[in-house]
Amino acid sequence: MRRLRRLGRLAWEVLRELADERPYQRGLKAQGRRHSAEEWRRFTERRYEARFKQPKCC
Amino acid sequence: MAAAFCLGGLALRHGERVNGVWLIVAAACAFSTGYRFYGKFVAARVLTLDDGRATPAERLRNGQDFEPTNKWILFGHHFAAIAGPGPLVGPVLAAQFGYLPGALWIIIGAVLGGAVQDFIILFASMRRDGKSLGQMVREEIGKAAGFTALITVLIIMVIMLAVMALVVVNALKGSPWGAFTIAATMPIAVFMGLYLRYWRPGKVLECSAIGFGMLLAAIFGGRAVADSAVLAPWFTLSALALAAALIVYGFLASALPVWLLLAPRGYLSTFVKLGVILMLAAGILFVRPQLQLAAFTRFVDGSGPIFAGRIFPFCFITIACGAVSGFHSLIASGTTPKMIAHEGHALPIGYGAMLAESFVAIMALIAACTLQPGVYFAVNSPAGVVGAAPAAAAATISSWGFPVTEAQMAELARDAGERTLFARTGGAPSLALGMARIFAGGFGSAGRALIGFWYHFAIMFEALFILTLIDTGTRVGRFMLQDFLGHMWRPLGRTSWMPGVVAASAAIVAAWGYLLIQGVRDPLGGINSLWPLFGIANQLLAAIALCLATTILLKTHGARYLWISAVPLAWLVTVTFTAALQKIFSPSPALGFLAQASQLEASLRAGAAGEKAATARTLLFNARLDAAVCGVLLLLVTVILADSLRVWIEILRGAEEPRLSETPFVPTQLGTEGL
Repeated sequence: MRRLRRLGRLAWEVLRELADERPYQRGLKAQGRRHSAEEWRRFTERRYEARFKQPKCC
Repeated sequence: MAAAFCLGGLALRHGERVNGVWLIVAAACAFSTGYRFYGKFVAARVLTLDDGRATPAERLRNGQDFEPTNKWILFGHHFAAIAGPGPLVGPVLAAQFGYLPGALWIIIGAVLGGAVQDFIILFASMRRDGKSLGQMVREEIGKAAGFTALITVLIIMVIMLAVMALVVVNALKGSPWGAFTIAATMPIAVFMGLYLRYWRPGKVLECSAIGFGMLLAAIFGGRAVADSAVLAPWFTLSALALAAALIVYGFLASALPVWLLLAPRGYLSTFVKLGVILMLAAGILFVRPQLQLAAFTRFVDGSGPIFAGRIFPFCFITIACGAVSGFHSLIASGTTPKMIAHEGHALPIGYGAMLAESFVAIMALIAACTLQPGVYFAVNSPAGVVGAAPAAAAATISSWGFPVTEAQMAELARDAGERTLFARTGGAPSLALGMARIFAGGFGSAGRALIGFWYHFAIMFEALFILTLIDTGTRVGRFMLQDFLGHMWRPLGRTSWMPGVVAASAAIVAAWGYLLIQGVRDPLGGINSLWPLFGIANQLLAAIALCLATTILLKTHGARYLWISAVPLAWLVTVTFTAALQKIFSPSPALGFLAQASQLEASLRAGAAGEKAATARTLLFNARLDAAVCGVLLLLVTVILADSLRVWIEILRGAEEPRLSETPFVPTQLGTEGL
């Protein structure tokens, strides 16, 4: 049961990573800032700029 | 032992119906063995991964790109980036040779070639502060090779975008249900973009759940549209109209703000992709479908209707992603190496994620092979080969020894909610049919009523992430072109200068759009010429990556472990050069571009007139263009091979001191907690 719960938590964390929610929280923590619409916009602008300069695999 | 038993059973027991689970067990056991022994051998002896050495994620940590990340989270990230539509479509097309050649190539190719390539490139980039493939080729091999690699990547990208767009066009032509569902994904993505930007910033999972609910509603709505006498004609589009719509979409997506369309569509596509792959795995294990196609078909001799060419080299070109994919080297030298916490994590992420992708390819192969062979060939064979009329197509396919009737296809089309399933080339519709039958099989006798829903769910899934590939690819291609043009005239390189953005976007869209239209107008269905071109291009990129890997191994160990990358490299060079030369020079017009051109020229000389002559002239130009593109790719890779050979000979002769451009050793301060 504990293993299942751990697996579930890991899957949830993978989803949050893929959804950029985790990197966003990490970035806020690293810079000592709090969440706001403006912060999210700043984060995604940087993030998307880097992401959409990389090719996606076929 | 289990892998050998299952593979032996599959290979030796001809004439007996085989359950798909045999293939699953064979692949799972072979991949586990490959990972446990070969992968670990490469990690420990060849690359000598050192957990005591600080990775770029630790040394250059900035909370953004460089960030030590839990290995399983990064595995998910990397897998989501490498697993595209290629491993789904390629195995479906290669099933024309039977299920065994594709299955063996996927298993052996991935363990000894694809996973090794991904792993070594990821390792090399990690030891060089996350440098890209092009930068590493320039530093380790030479400037000429680096520049050539850049141009090769751009050409490959254009071919990939065209062929993937063609898959979507062929899946949606004449299908109001499918066209409505895919059209609905655009406003859904824009809604999600606005939701995330203005209404609930940062709530990506919440927003994606809402978007997914809307997607399901769009699939149900699609049925109503298809049944409506008023709406159905609006969404019943010809291949040419769909191609035009995709070209406009590609251009807009390249120029619109990323947050509005690309990013929300990307999130949705990633989650749907992972969910469907898990569902497919569960479905195969639960339903245990029987493989209807034989281990080998008569088309191993090269007379196949889906694409021309013998099993060697074309099976190995058709399945690129899933066995060995050069494109992975771009991902393995992109974001992933900047996020690896400890060097040891490169094994599960680089080697393991590729094996996971190959497992997806095996599942796609199973889904296609569960179709009755006559149905499989009726769906995938172009009208130009089997005849445009359903009765003629059914008769031709039955005459090959794969019985199918017009009534049977009509009933299947009715179940799937389509007007016809004849000549739906490209692989996506037959994969969707196979998946729909597996999913519906989980609902017992009530399943048949659900085939229409599941078929369009699978089409939506495939089209969704092909469109994600097209919009991102067009944008990336635009950046690459601007980067390139910026060396000639500086303003063209500025990504904020609107005329430069528009001109570069238009150039990229025009390039893949031209190839797409060419595919749409091709009487042989387009896939016959474009998919092998794409496979050749992708495998040639793998050859470039393996040249780099071989150079690095030579500089590190001398000739001792050369075989690890040199054997897959030699195989790929043999396969791709043979395939490319056959595609250019084969005397058969169905296979060789120049022979096709000669045939068209002869028909023009014989007095073709009017519209027929105009079409023949266009096809003639296209055949010569395809031959030229193939030739240019060969030339570019020959330059890189020659440059690599020069470096290897100098190292082996001791004429040059091997100089690796790795970053110096710094001991790690990072613990293992949470990583």
